[in-house]
Amino acid sequence: MRNLSLRRAGEKLAPYVLLAPFLFTLIIFFGYAFVRVVYFSFTNYDLFQQPQWVGLKNYVDIFRDMDFARAMKNSLTFMAVVTTAQTLFALLLALFLNQKVRGMKFFRAAYYMPSVASSVVVTLIFIWFFQRRGVLNFLISKFNEYRNVIVLFLFAAAVLQLLQVGWEKMRKRPVTLMEPAFLFLSLLVSFMLMFAGVRLGFIPTRDVAPADIIWFNTIKTWPSFLGPLSFSVPLGAIMMFNIWTTSPTFMLLYLAGLQDIPRELYEAAAMDGAERWHVFRYIIVPQLKPITFLVVTMGLIGTLQMFDQVAILGAQAPRQSIITLAYYIYTNIFPSSSSPRVGMASAAAIFLALLTFVIVAAQRKVLGSEGDGGHV
Amino acid sequence: MKRIGLVLVMMLLAVSAASAQQVRIGGHGGTDTVILEEMIELFIRPALEGTGITVQYEPIADDFQRYIVNALSAGTAPDLFYLDSFWAGSVMRSGTVEPLNAYLEKSTVLRGEDIVRSLLDAFTIDGQIYGIPKDFNTLAVFYNKDLFDYAGVEYPSNDDNWDTFYEKLAAVAAIDPDIYGLALPPEYARFGALAHAAGFTPFDENGATDLFDPAFVDAFRWYTEMGLEGVGVMPADISQGWGGGALASEQVAAALEGAWILGSLRDEAPNMQYGATLLPKHPQTGQRGNIIYTVAWGMNANSPHKDAAFRVLELLTSEEVQQWILERGLAIPSRVALADNPYFTQDNVEAQSNYTVFLGASDGNVLPFSFGVYGGDWMQPIDQALSAVLSKQVGWEEALREAQTRLDAVMQR
Repeated sequence: MRNLSLRRAGEKLAPYVLLAPFLFTLIIFFGYAFVRVVYFSFTNYDLFQQPQWVGLKNYVDIFRDMDFARAMKNSLTFMAVVTTAQTLFALLLALFLNQKVRGMKFFRAAYYMPSVASSVVVTLIFIWFFQRRGVLNFLISKFNEYRNVIVLFLFAAAVLQLLQVGWEKMRKRPVTLMEPAFLFLSLLVSFMLMFAGVRLGFIPTRDVAPADIIWFNTIKTWPSFLGPLSFSVPLGAIMMFNIWTTSPTFMLLYLAGLQDIPRELYEAAAMDGAERWHVFRYIIVPQLKPITFLVVTMGLIGTLQMFDQVAILGAQAPRQSIITLAYYIYTNIFPSSSSPRVGMASAAAIFLALLTFVIVAAQRKVLGSEGDGGHV
Repeated sequence: MKRIGLVLVMMLLAVSAASAQQVRIGGHGGTDTVILEEMIELFIRPALEGTGITVQYEPIADDFQRYIVNALSAGTAPDLFYLDSFWAGSVMRSGTVEPLNAYLEKSTVLRGEDIVRSLLDAFTIDGQIYGIPKDFNTLAVFYNKDLFDYAGVEYPSNDDNWDTFYEKLAAVAAIDPDIYGLALPPEYARFGALAHAAGFTPFDENGATDLFDPAFVDAFRWYTEMGLEGVGVMPADISQGWGGGALASEQVAAALEGAWILGSLRDEAPNMQYGATLLPKHPQTGQRGNIIYTVAWGMNANSPHKDAAFRVLELLTSEEVQQWILERGLAIPSRVALADNPYFTQDNVEAQSNYTVFLGASDGNVLPFSFGVYGGDWMQPIDQALSAVLSKQVGWEEALREAQTRLDAVMQR
């Protein structure tokens, strides 16, 4: 009897013993650190003198600080735009990569590359990409130069495609509008026509000045019709890049989710004569709801804490244009050559934590939690 | 058993370290590591033979200021470390840097008077000396001789004022749309020297800053108009990080930089013919302006062996060491006795450039690169105004008004 109860006690204890190492680091590096930060947020600590209690002064001060207001606006804009875009983009990528096509493994690996590369390295490439005479401006210039040709190319391809499909339809053959073999032929012929046209001078290219968009060193905002809701151009550049680097990770989650959807559902839908759009709307989206919840939650947390890309961009863009809440905290702890303002940084950190918590909780209300989304 | 052995070894190490008095020196990584290691090998170790003092250089590859603030606060800082006049203010006030007055009074080889006064002042608060300057730098005009020859324009010279300097640069810029006269980094750290020439000082007698001071406006407009006219260019716009990179790219005929440019020109543009001359004079005041950048050795107030550390500090700032550093073309000595230096008369471009930089410290309105308790936050609004005007986003008046508002917010904090 006694032996048994001992064993039972041991069994009850076992999980805690196994959890202990993780709990230990959690308590020391998160729990203790968090308590310290809460305490510091009510003091005027500067890393050297003993902290003195100043009550709510730091919280009042950050709300008076122009930089904090800018950081708040930048962070919220960044969160809204990037989370939306990366979720949609990840879903589209996953849908595409879920098809059975030759060489799909290559595409999966290739699309995942931006997420594997180190964030610092990628940001350095990014700085080069957005230079005033960098790759992006070059591509935009080329696009402007060949805009006529591109439009004409698409137009010619469409006409060729319609002709071919029309011809087949007249012969009562079952073809769809996007018949792959015809599409290939249309694009090829159209391309050859354009190439010859440009080479022989029948189709003029536009003579435009090279694009000279300043991506970093600017306080301009975009889009202008949004007024105070518009975001700065450098922040927009960071958004573009962040979407590109984070989407593949979320794509992986979606891909796993897509492969979990039971085959029977598709079969049933096919029996009912559902179109592609219907399958997407009534099977894929509801089935992926738990994944979407996860993706959006992780996206919100990640974007609110975005720091590295701003920090590495650093002095290349005006601070007011790119400062985010996480970067604001950092610049207060290590201000350029003045005393650390740990109190203000801590207050801002607590504020960011609360804000993240509130936003994620609100999102949970809207999207519903993991449990009740799923299986129909 | 193993554990006891480990503890014993550690105790032994601690004891031997205490008796051997190891002095840890903290400085920048990169090229500094090589120079410091060689200097320690050549001068410091032989001099310390038999004293039981050993020296260990600890290079910091990352942001040094952030490192030292952290290390001083955590009590892990080295015994001696770099103190840059730009950020020294807040560190010296923290109480973790040892005042050196008592040591200097006792010393037979290093006294306050041995060091150039204006440099020492950058590390003195209320009569307490917190750092011994190891060297200094100022700005000079570094120019590409080939581009001036090609344009058929005279080289910039010590007689130039802003107007004649501008004309020469404009003539070079006229060669080709992709060639510019002057690199114009949007930074007070370079532009400030011109503002000083016009008679601007960062803080007036009440400690306030007025960006609409006519002297400041004059310099601001001269600098930005050069960019708007295509005579100068921001380095970032030709994909360069700084004026030295722009000069080395040979797309820009001149840059306002310090002697630190020499090493990078040696590496990046070894075949470029260049020269150096003093900054141009302001046409009305007839004065030059300049900024002094200086780095000192500071001592950790919590160091376990301060006397040994000071002994090492004496060696690090000795005449032989400074002469050696100078002759390698690395930095200008801070010791008064080394001002009349045979090295400066050598007929090579690096020696002459160093001499020009040396002269820059005592010609006209020269101010240290430090902005009291505000530090870099003080410069930032001005840097942004320069950048906004140079990239044609706003006019100078609007930019300065915005900068003044932001600066006032920084100074009220």
